[in-house]
Amino acid sequence: MDWKLWSLKKSIWVFHVNTGACNNCDIEIVNLLTPKFDVERFGIKLVGSPRHADALLVTGGGTRQAAIRLREVYRQTAKPCVVFCMGACACGMGIFEKGYHMAGPIDSIVREVDPHAIIAYVPGCPPKPEVMIAGVVKALEALQPKEDYAAERIGQPVVADSR
Amino acid sequence: MQPNELDNQLSPIRDRLAGVEHKAPNRVFLPCEAEHIHEICRFLFDDLRLRFVISTGIDAQDCFEVLHHFSDDESGCVLTVKAFIRDREAPEIDSITPIIPGAEWIECEMHDLLGIEFRNHPNMRRLILSDDWPEGVYPLRKEIQT
Repeated sequence: MDWKLWSLKKSIWVFHVNTGACNNCDIEIVNLLTPKFDVERFGIKLVGSPRHADALLVTGGGTRQAAIRLREVYRQTAKPCVVFCMGACACGMGIFEKGYHMAGPIDSIVREVDPHAIIAYVPGCPPKPEVMIAGVVKALEALQPKEDYAAERIGQPVVADSR
Repeated sequence: MQPNELDNQLSPIRDRLAGVEHKAPNRVFLPCEAEHIHEICRFLFDDLRLRFVISTGIDAQDCFEVLHHFSDDESGCVLTVKAFIRDREAPEIDSITPIIPGAEWIECEMHDLLGIEFRNHPNMRRLILSDDWPEGVYPLRKEIQT
């Protein structure tokens, strides 16, 4: 596996971007950090700068005002990175689809900057915290199938990647 | 507020109003023409000591309506001054911000979304539309199709 992807799959640090969400998804994301779900046990941690982040958690449908900022944040995120569209609005603008203030769903905004961006979708209004964790797991699985990963590791000492 | 009591209190501006509509015991509408709005709001705010709540702007097809909502907190009665702006091409009305500073932002918002010009507004600027929004396009007007 590409060493960049290998390092991306270790503890994922995430940066939270709100592009016009109603705060419901944001509350559920904060819920992930509370003792009940506690994603820090998986090494998932909220960080204060996109330059430290492996993934962007994007909530909200992407308003015209926020789209410019989202592109800038994506440019500043260390690559490779995963963009998680959290919630119905981020996945496809939701009920704001025909609003005059919308710049388009998150994936099309991000793809204007990077056509090959890795984008994961977690629908729901808001998605449950369990679903968000499941979405992260599925995205990581998609980066490299679990079977390959396990097969490669058989008989190998547990050390930092030699490749 | 009792209807008769209210009518007495409103008597100094009664000739400026097109009517006093009691929609409910605690809900009163005061329709008027746009040119009297400053005088009426000054009377309600300064003389009757009502609390300014919020304003509403409506595109009513044949005219624009600006509604200033005032609350009488002692009785729980809400009075709405409903001003009609007949000129659709260049809608203009007096700003109430010089008498009620709290109305500054909502008037900016109505200017953004409906294109109503507020005379004597101290700080008219783009408030809630995005920075790259074109000038002269007002998204909540009826003729705008999305």
